[in-house]
Amino acid sequence: MGPLDHSQRASFDALIKPHLDRLYRLSFRLAGNKAEAEDLFQDVLTKIFPRLDELIDIDEPGSWLCRVMYNHFIDNRRRYARQRLVSVSEDRLPGKSLEELPGNLDPVADAERLDNIMRLQRALSELSEDHRLVVLLHDSEGYKLTEIQGVTGTPVGTLKSRLHRARARLREILAADGTEYAG
Amino acid sequence: MNCKLIAEQIDDFLDGELAAAESQRLETHVSTCASCEAIITKERELRDMLRDYGESTMPRADAAFFDRSIAIAAQTGTRRQRNRWVMTGFGGAVAAAMALWIVSGVFFSAPSITESTVPSVTMTLEQPQTLNLVFASAEVLENATMTVFLPEGVEVAGFAGQREITWMTSLDEGRNILPLTLIATSPVGGELLANLQHEDDDKTFRLQVTII
Repeated sequence: MGPLDHSQRASFDALIKPHLDRLYRLSFRLAGNKAEAEDLFQDVLTKIFPRLDELIDIDEPGSWLCRVMYNHFIDNRRRYARQRLVSVSEDRLPGKSLEELPGNLDPVADAERLDNIMRLQRALSELSEDHRLVVLLHDSEGYKLTEIQGVTGTPVGTLKSRLHRARARLREILAADGTEYAG
Repeated sequence: MNCKLIAEQIDDFLDGELAAAESQRLETHVSTCASCEAIITKERELRDMLRDYGESTMPRADAAFFDRSIAIAAQTGTRRQRNRWVMTGFGGAVAAAMALWIVSGVFFSAPSITESTVPSVTMTLEQPQTLNLVFASAEVLENATMTVFLPEGVEVAGFAGQREITWMTSLDEGRNILPLTLIATSPVGGELLANLQHEDDDKTFRLQVTII
């Protein structure tokens, strides 16, 4: 293809826009924070644009796009890990300590619910990357196991086993942390 | 049906993956077994918590962010097509460059839980303020292209009315400071993006701008 023309851009817009929300959410679940998620999102869109002809012929573009994002993340994991290290140093700037986070949420958020979210976040951080991803995609994002298989290439049986163990581990950590579920 | 079998089937039951007949048998058992009922209740609560966590922690990306992302993808993607770009990963110098946004005369606002690594700045309407963008580069970058995408209600001094400004620049090894004088012209704000391109690498840095 030659220099950018408007029809090319319009085709890309039309094909990709219905999937942007899902892609954005996946980028956040993979990267773990907004800044790196948006870098990942941007990188994947930039990577996909030259493959417009291929995208046009895809039967299920949503699944394909998610798979491209996942593979890109896995292939460039080290790069995003380096950025996470940068983020940590940025977090040391005044006013960015973890203790200050709750006060910056929606002011109407219930304190107990917020506390549970923070505990759950800490518990999730103790899981392995594979276990955390499957529980977040399945239980937080509502993916079916077959959809996660489509994205990651991991067999459903393995995913089911990881999900079971991830939930069990979360229950252990939360119980040890004294968390009362929000039932 | 006994309690051990129930324990093995709870995940499938709650995930809606248990056959109807098995689900019926499980429900019948649970209705008469306080122990299994308590387990199911806890499992449901954990799932509710995870669903709530999913919604509570997910940042909201607005249409403007999506539009900018597509614009950058089209701009960069087309250049890569022209250059018969070969995927080399992201180990290039631009990818290694890091940016710190150091703000003079204004203060960093603390981030929300979902924005823990996006620096933010608060500006006062109609008052010029200078941001010193500090880029740390692993090596010399000649002929790099910097593009700044401004949020609504923010202008660069001397470039009134322009939301996108592009210029050529070079980066030295180590720290490079780019002073950028901004003026808030209306109380809207949003995300400011600085996109740095060098050969086939590019990197986008973000800054949340709030106007009071």
